[in-house]
Amino acid sequence: MMPGRPPVPASVPENPLGLSWHDSAWIPMLNSSNIMDYFSERSNPFYDRTCNNEIVKMQRLNTDQLTNMTGSEYILLHVQEPILYVIRKQHRHSATQVTPLADYYIIAGVVYQAPDLASVVNSRLLSTVHHLQSAFEEASSCSRYHPSKGYSWDLKNGKALTAKKEVPVREEPSSLFQRQRVDMLLAELTRKFPLPVPKPIQTITEPSVEIKQEIKTEKKDMKPPPEKKPRIN
Amino acid sequence: MAEKLRRYEKIDFLGEGQFATVYKAKDTETDKIVAVKKIKVGSRAEARDGINRTALREIKLLQELKHENIIGLLDVFGHKSNVSLVFDFMDTDLEVIIKDNNIVLTPANIKAYMVQTLQGLDYLHFNWILHRDLKPNNLLVNEEGVLKIGDFGLAKFFGSPNRINTHHVVTRWYRAPELLYGARLYGTGIDMWAVGCILAELLLRVPFLPGESDLDQLTRIFQTLGTPTEETWPGMTDLTDFIQFKPFPGTPLKHIFTAAGDDLLDLIASLLNINPLQRCTCDQALQMPYFSNKPAPTPGPRLPLPTTVKRQPEEKPSLKRKLLESMDGASLAKRLQF
Repeated sequence: MMPGRPPVPASVPENPLGLSWHDSAWIPMLNSSNIMDYFSERSNPFYDRTCNNEIVKMQRLNTDQLTNMTGSEYILLHVQEPILYVIRKQHRHSATQVTPLADYYIIAGVVYQAPDLASVVNSRLLSTVHHLQSAFEEASSCSRYHPSKGYSWDLKNGKALTAKKEVPVREEPSSLFQRQRVDMLLAELTRKFPLPVPKPIQTITEPSVEIKQEIKTEKKDMKPPPEKKPRIN
Repeated sequence: MAEKLRRYEKIDFLGEGQFATVYKAKDTETDKIVAVKKIKVGSRAEARDGINRTALREIKLLQELKHENIIGLLDVFGHKSNVSLVFDFMDTDLEVIIKDNNIVLTPANIKAYMVQTLQGLDYLHFNWILHRDLKPNNLLVNEEGVLKIGDFGLAKFFGSPNRINTHHVVTRWYRAPELLYGARLYGTGIDMWAVGCILAELLLRVPFLPGESDLDQLTRIFQTLGTPTEETWPGMTDLTDFIQFKPFPGTPLKHIFTAAGDDLLDLIASLLNINPLQRCTCDQALQMPYFSNKPAPTPGPRLPLPTTVKRQPEEKPSLKRKLLESMDGASLAKRLQF
């Protein structure tokens, strides 16, 4: 997850924080009403099939019954259509009392377990120390010693290294999802902050249909520039 | 005999079966609530034997059986050529519980029912008795959550190597494949199969293999569990009514019982083994890890009861009861004429 984080050794079996799961067949049709079904797919490693949700499903009962049960269950905690869903695993003690056990987030159809605070701090500390250490290693590889001149820096190698890094970054074409998302955001913004439309001076007798059309064409003329600009680049 | 008549005061009408009418009654000597099963006189052929065969079986077997999980036969008395059996009063049965959608059957509840069923059945098999009609409707449950195996109308001693039995036993949905193939010599496996079907029904809340005919029953069994071969079930082809079925691959049990743990799936697989000789016995089943693993079975008093039982202890109010009430005056306890 962190760029500087050393890879998890293969011998450590299934740290849930290093796992992700998705089913491409489902991804195009995910929404808040089927997201729990998606999460309860058999192959999802984050789903414990002995949970209350599965018991209720297997016994063909109403999902309202979940609150009458005790034990572990999953709930849909947060929805941000169309991209983000947060599912919580919790232990139910009674109809009113629950203890959260873990959160899972589904972003663009891929399921991850949300890390706990200790793991986050741990990971950040580790990557900080790692970067510091590589900086020191880099620096010490550039230091030179000469009996008459003493210590000096020889940064040639280092420069070569940075130069090598400057590989021309190829611009990735945006994905369909990104484009749609940007369009959606732009539409949202233009809705919130509508462009000042100069009121067309019209006579009252003219039919309303024509007015509409005119407004439309005007909008079209005004809207494109901000949208088109990024695409040209 | 007359004093026995007076001993049981009728409280309520409970139900009517093919062979008997059941009343709820109060034992005036002990103040205990009991169920009185009044055997119908029956057909002339039965009357010639003196008594209905199912009643005879029940009296004969239950008199000698005493176990927490077997219905207790408390008393037998006759009056005017009728025979009445006095049983423990049971509030409900597993069929009612399974069908009540307000009840959630947790894994612990299911384990509690299974433990009690298998312990009762183990006692029966240990005493060389086959029940031969196990189904949710015959597993009775009382207010304290104690499960008792009831209805011994088809029960029979087994084990004599040359005694031929009829294969027309067990309600179809719970009937083992060897019975459907017409086996005349069979053993505890037929009861174990029925227990497997009941366990599946507790998990799914619908009958597991609801066959519409005997042939359909076999089709459903093989579609679900896979068609047996002479290797998986040696001797199968020698059974009288054997028919070769299309080979079905079967469905993995974990795809059917999605919320069941692996230990539970092992138990189901063992109870529903196509080969009757490889099916587990009660003793073996109770030794399986499922029963020692978590969660522990729910203690009896905490097992769920249908709302009908809690609110009004009398169940299944029927037209007949209403008629009786209107004749007798609803609340008055009526002395039963047996």
